[in-house]
Amino acid sequence: MEYNKQEIKKGINLHIIKTDKFKTNLLAVFITTPLKREQITNNALIPMVLRRGNMINKTQEEISIHLEEMYGASFDCGIEKTGDNQALKFYLEVINDEFLPTKENLIKDALNTLLNIVFNPLTQNNQFNKEYIESEKQNLKQIIESKKDNKAKYALERCIECMYKNEPYGLYKYGYIEDLEKINQQNLYEYYKELINKCKIDIFVSGQVEKEEIQQIINENTQIQNLQERIPEYVVNNPSKENQESEEIKKVNESMDITQGKLVIGMDIFGEGEKLKYIASVYNAILGGTATSKLFQNVREKASLAYTASSSYIRPKNNIMIRAGIEIENYDKAIEIIKQQLEDMKQGNFTNEELEISKTGITSTVKFIPDEQDTCLSYYFGQELSNSKSTIEEYIQNIEQVTHEEVKQLANNIKINTIYFLKN
Amino acid sequence: MQIIENLKVKEKAYIEKLENGLTVIIIPKHNTSKKYVIWGTNFGSIDNKFIAPEDKEETSIPDGVAHFLEHKMFEQANGTNSLDTLTALGVEANAYTTNDHTAYLFEATDNFYPALDELMDYVQNPYYTDENVEKEKGIIAQEIKMYDDQPEWQVYMNAIQLMYKNNPINIDIAGTVESISGINKDILYKVYNTFYHPSNMVLTICGDFEPNDILQEIKNRLKKDIKKQGTIKRIYPQEPEEIVAPEKTVEMEVNMPLFTIGFKDEINNNEKDIVKKHIAIEIILYMLLGRSSEAYKKLYEAGDIIMQPQLEYETSKQYSHVLISGQSTNPQNVVKMLKNQIEKYKTSGLDEQQFNRVKKKIYGDYITEYNDVGNIARMFMADYFKGINSFDYLEEYEQVGIEYANQILAEIFDFNKMVVSVVKGK
Repeated sequence: MEYNKQEIKKGINLHIIKTDKFKTNLLAVFITTPLKREQITNNALIPMVLRRGNMINKTQEEISIHLEEMYGASFDCGIEKTGDNQALKFYLEVINDEFLPTKENLIKDALNTLLNIVFNPLTQNNQFNKEYIESEKQNLKQIIESKKDNKAKYALERCIECMYKNEPYGLYKYGYIEDLEKINQQNLYEYYKELINKCKIDIFVSGQVEKEEIQQIINENTQIQNLQERIPEYVVNNPSKENQESEEIKKVNESMDITQGKLVIGMDIFGEGEKLKYIASVYNAILGGTATSKLFQNVREKASLAYTASSSYIRPKNNIMIRAGIEIENYDKAIEIIKQQLEDMKQGNFTNEELEISKTGITSTVKFIPDEQDTCLSYYFGQELSNSKSTIEEYIQNIEQVTHEEVKQLANNIKINTIYFLKN
Repeated sequence: MQIIENLKVKEKAYIEKLENGLTVIIIPKHNTSKKYVIWGTNFGSIDNKFIAPEDKEETSIPDGVAHFLEHKMFEQANGTNSLDTLTALGVEANAYTTNDHTAYLFEATDNFYPALDELMDYVQNPYYTDENVEKEKGIIAQEIKMYDDQPEWQVYMNAIQLMYKNNPINIDIAGTVESISGINKDILYKVYNTFYHPSNMVLTICGDFEPNDILQEIKNRLKKDIKKQGTIKRIYPQEPEEIVAPEKTVEMEVNMPLFTIGFKDEINNNEKDIVKKHIAIEIILYMLLGRSSEAYKKLYEAGDIIMQPQLEYETSKQYSHVLISGQSTNPQNVVKMLKNQIEKYKTSGLDEQQFNRVKKKIYGDYITEYNDVGNIARMFMADYFKGINSFDYLEEYEQVGIEYANQILAEIFDFNKMVVSVVKGK
């Protein structure tokens, strides 16, 4: 595997990951812009409108037909919160020419198709297509209203919202229904143009490709030629938080018609710096990242309180989220056991074996990255947004250097922010 | 070893049946560092009545035993837990139970052989006690309740229950809180001794291996004193051709209704035909409701659906059906459009241009399956239990013509065998 990044214009990067591990080439365009209450709904709506049609393939149907002709190239798009940014993601996966039944060159067509979807939308008189806007507004409304459909995800989302009330990260990535009525084909297109001119743009190409060939396709593409240079507006993912002594733990209980209670505990990590992230990853793995972790062992295996009991680390925001699905009447018992685990971490009551197992767990997951095409893209995009240039090898080294003492110290700089419980 | 090569996707599979009856399938992939091994037994949630080879009497077991046993395989006599041991080695270990098989697996970059030691050791050495069986009941009860809150699972189970009257596929894989309360260690040992014999199992492995070497490594780790086993007589109830009922709607706390449309099919007995039929059904399904289809376009424009429904054909030696599942603000309109489209194709035949295009798409989908070592290993194993070798899909692909597809359309998409399951908001 060979990774290469070059700035094709100021604020616009082309990342090429040359690899022979896959049958497919994976292409992606990521548009990054700061999370803002005023723009969040606009940003969520844009990918949905763009996938409806462009100046070349005017309808969704035409796009699909074109992709099917390319031996079922698959297009996907979505929206993600990454730290204090909103990322609009567009992917196109196409099989490598080597595995086609006839001799064809699909990569050029595939790349141009993707760039057309993102940068050459269907417009008339300097406006988006009205019909598309209206129908996608309806669809987005449905998506926003369906937030509660997946209960476990909903509980996590709600906990984060409570932790980051009135802050960008507390915003819902799909936006808000009350914004929708204000949006029309004209103002959304105006906003789209502004976004495209100011945002950070990253183009990824992964697969059995030649760097020169890709560069040439990109350079010859009209859409790319039309893009302006920019000092991209986005937030570098390097959070630092100060420990505020007086903060009380927020407790939030909500009800829904469910059979199992969903418990989410959101915690803040205080401190800053690159190294902290590696220590926090190890802390998280010991606490609840694996099957040998304290939460899995004590909440599930010993107390039989849950089937799911784990924690995850939100790297760009330095939060650890604990999650468990429990019997509603076992709430107090579960909280008590979880708090005991946090206390044990603070006291340094974890063995060197637990430490080593956790480090191995993290490093082996990292070693899988080159064998997973989309994860590999996400890894380099994550590095890009946090302004770090660690290779996978360096990342592994940094994890391996984390000590028992460092984890214990970090444990004493972690505080519960919110305890959220979804019950019936 | 038998060697099968596929020139389209440029991969080879090495297959060997060992003396003790175990089938080993090796798919070498020289340019990856990720290695994946999966060991499966042809024993799933539907195998709840059988006559063991040494018995004359029939054995009936409570619902959920296959899944329960999967949970309990990890515990060892020396007090360790194999999941912990594997995790400590830095490999991703897991296990799962389906309707027709149970599988134990891990993926690794480093420590592959120590992990293989552990996997092969724990699968060959069960350790069940009254105490550890009791403890698991609380955990599994929470797993069952987790599924109870998932509308996707409810809408699927209801569709299955609309189609199947007697076939135990109509019972939740995990059983119920009540049924698992009746499980004890004797039942688990009985089932283990019957179904976890090598002759009922297949081990599939994918990664950067030299086939003969890895085969030897596997042989070295197999118990030596295994006696040959006779046939297990599995007893399945007679399943009528007809469906149970055409429709069921339940209410849950959801915003956008979920639907699953099913078409009950007959059990396939001819393995060669299954593949051809499966390919044809995949093409037809995509022509009916895929992203470029007329019905999808209309439904999308009407605001009835936002995403393409999932389109699949599930088939095994005991059941076969088509499932179309998704979310819609108006599931009845999805049903109506689908029926119209089926009618139309039945009368005028499938559109040839569209057929050829979608066929190309399906080719790409099959090639893409070979991107990941885990996916490859799981696919070869699951297909093996159906009597299929996964390359057959790429081999038979050319043989599926439009006339054949028209014939399959008429056979499978029979409105008398169609069910509609809906979960809607309260």
